[in-house]
Amino acid sequence: MSLHNRISVFRAERGISRRQLADAVGVNNQTIGYLERGDYKPSLELALKIARHFGVAVEMLFSLERFEPIAMTLKRTGEGE
Amino acid sequence: MKPGRRSILSMLDDTVRWTGMPARVAAQMTDDPDRKHRPLRWTPIWPIAFSCALLMISLAWPRPLDGVDLGGIIGPLVAFWGAGLGMLPAIHIYGPLGKPSLEDDEREATLRKDSFLFCLGWLAVLNGVGQPLLMILSHWKHWQIAQTASVVTTAFMLNATLLGCLPTLYASWNLRQLPKE
Repeated sequence: MSLHNRISVFRAERGISRRQLADAVGVNNQTIGYLERGDYKPSLELALKIARHFGVAVEMLFSLERFEPIAMTLKRTGEGE
Repeated sequence: MKPGRRSILSMLDDTVRWTGMPARVAAQMTDDPDRKHRPLRWTPIWPIAFSCALLMISLAWPRPLDGVDLGGIIGPLVAFWGAGLGMLPAIHIYGPLGKPSLEDDEREATLRKDSFLFCLGWLAVLNGVGQPLLMILSHWKHWQIAQTASVVTTAFMLNATLLGCLPTLYASWNLRQLPKE
């Protein structure tokens, strides 16, 4: 079963590099790259550390289902308002 | 300066660069651990292929014990073993599993574990199947001591080569190139 994540989206939004995130959660910067690309599934501990670093719930970052595209989310939010 | 009128010193500089030593020293002195331990996708295949070929040769062409010049065999054999056994740690050290395991994060630790499990699994299968086969073959073909010793030596060499190279090979092929940030 594949595990989807939005680490790169959050990282781009906060303007931090792979190395900065890697140093913050205590892994190699390549590990962040493999995580973002879906080549590696993190341990629960690492997933929680990354979520804590971004200050969000772990479900916001990782999901068993594919994440909705950001454009769709924005459109839905706009229609709600 | 024109290419045709270069000084001897600049040509000597080129010679040193051609050896690859400056690049190797730069890689050794860098602080980036990823640059020191790069995936080696093809290098480990050569010693494995060479060891397989040696085992096949020792199986296919038995060496008669009589008339063998032991001095002429032992010298090259020692040199060959020295070079081979020196190369295996080098492949391991410069490969992706070469850095101390204490510095591994969870992904690297998993990769190291998977690589050695893959290698030890293959070694177990090959030895489990190969040993009875060799025993039957030696009985069937009436091997002399010289051929038995030759096969045992080359089989041991193949085991050592697989143990030294297979984890690096597995890890290297499992590390896909990441795009630059």
